[in-house]
Amino acid sequence: MNSLAESTDQVMFLDPAIRNWVLFPITVIMVLVGVFRHQLTILMTGEPPKPDIKDIRQGKALMRGQMLAQSNSYIPAAAFAERRQYLCHAYEQGTYLKNKASKEQSAVNLMADPKNMEVMMDGMKKQMMGIVPQTLIMGWIQFFFSGFILIKLPFPLGLRFKQMLQSGIMTPNMDVRWVSSLSWYFINLFGLRGVFSLILGGENSADGIRDMTAMGTMGAMGQQPGQPQDFNKQFLSLKDSLSIIHHEWDLANIEQRVLVKYGKQSRVFTSAAK
Amino acid sequence: MSSSLHLLADIRQSSERRPFSVLQLAEPLLNTNSVSATDDAYLVYEQVFISAIDERQIELAKALLLLLRKRFPASLRVKRLYGMINEAVGHPDEAQSIYTEMLATDPTNVLASKRLIALLKAAGHTEEAVAQLAAYLDTHSNDFEAWLELAHLYMRNHRLAQAAFCLEEVILQQPANHYFHLCYAELCYSMGRLDLALKEYLRVVELSTDNLRAFYGVKLVADRIRELRARSKKDPALCIDDAPQPATLDRLAQLATERLVAIYSRANQVTKTTAELWLSS
Repeated sequence: MNSLAESTDQVMFLDPAIRNWVLFPITVIMVLVGVFRHQLTILMTGEPPKPDIKDIRQGKALMRGQMLAQSNSYIPAAAFAERRQYLCHAYEQGTYLKNKASKEQSAVNLMADPKNMEVMMDGMKKQMMGIVPQTLIMGWIQFFFSGFILIKLPFPLGLRFKQMLQSGIMTPNMDVRWVSSLSWYFINLFGLRGVFSLILGGENSADGIRDMTAMGTMGAMGQQPGQPQDFNKQFLSLKDSLSIIHHEWDLANIEQRVLVKYGKQSRVFTSAAK
Repeated sequence: MSSSLHLLADIRQSSERRPFSVLQLAEPLLNTNSVSATDDAYLVYEQVFISAIDERQIELAKALLLLLRKRFPASLRVKRLYGMINEAVGHPDEAQSIYTEMLATDPTNVLASKRLIALLKAAGHTEEAVAQLAAYLDTHSNDFEAWLELAHLYMRNHRLAQAAFCLEEVILQQPANHYFHLCYAELCYSMGRLDLALKEYLRVVELSTDNLRAFYGVKLVADRIRELRARSKKDPALCIDDAPQPATLDRLAQLATERLVAIYSRANQVTKTTAELWLSS
């Protein structure tokens, strides 16, 4: 078995000059570009938009409703009922909405809001910062470092990867484990995240993977998540979920629970014999 | 030196009010001027400023304020400190005008809102303070500390029903904190809602084993309910409709007595004898 495995293992000798002039430079360049990108992003990112008082009020009113829905069992039934009634009425009337007048056409003017524009521009800028260097480096590698084998992967791969990883070299028999410099670029892209979090601290903008996910979602993104939320819709849906809550007071069988806790009783009776 | 800085940072983190300790820790640092190089320098200055005005060391406070203003000339956070020092030396009107000015420039500034309310409260204008705090809470309805403050303000004026509402808001946001349930229980007892008081005291006892105050509450409320039931005439102000059956009530009262004895067995002799006298009566 052993000899069989060895005979199918291709042995090739690579010029050490390849290691010195391709392997290390690609890594070094990627690290430097990552750090540069991080610093540039810090410079370019404007201040996060300061929320308006009406925005805060709106957001917190929503949170209040959510908290009521979540913790409703800890307050007595009467307290819950009065809050539910008040909040449902308020949500319906739009008491907490920022622009009460435009309650009906709230979805239309989301683009026109100047603050939202700034937030979206910021997001776009960040994404450009991510995509442009990646594309540039990939192009650079393709241009300069194509047509030869760089490394041997320590793990075997299926034949379908051959086309992607050995892009410049047309050989039918060469093992898929021998790959070109473009795949080294990809390995670095995923691997340098750890290095960046060491050098730049946790929250850094030099993350290759984050850019790839951003690229993927950019097409599917209809509107920037977070800012132009339609509060009226959210209020109404929260009102609906509040109105169907069946209040079960947590303290209904507290006497039994306490007696059990202090060892006076073995188990809580579910039929709540008070 | 760095250990003092660490201790100061811990005190900042826990937002404790320990002016004497802070001053004690910070005096040597400020005298040898070894703080100015650190990253936290201005945070320390702000912290020592607040402790200085707590301990009436106004000159020190003024010096720190000048340092802060030099570094952050247009900062609202520093402006609030100006308001505070005005309050400390006894110029509440100036302080109030500073805070209202801050709120006019930036209505969302939480620091200014809270200082204004504190100013009104300290001056004894409870009604105005309540009005301001209610307006603040209309916007920032998830600030449970503000709800707690409003509850205390209402309790000052014996508006217990409103205070109960505020405490319910606090409990909604922090349902696992036994102290808020305890406040609510005592408030319910004061209002005469004895059944609810009993249940809340039991909740405290469930959340915090052998809580002395809560067990006192359980015993007192249980005894009172028993007494009220024994009376033929119903008192309309006191609500005992939801109270447990007499058998359960007896067991709870007995449990409370037992646990109180157990807790007091760890205390010194004088306390123990006093407690036992009271419990057996």
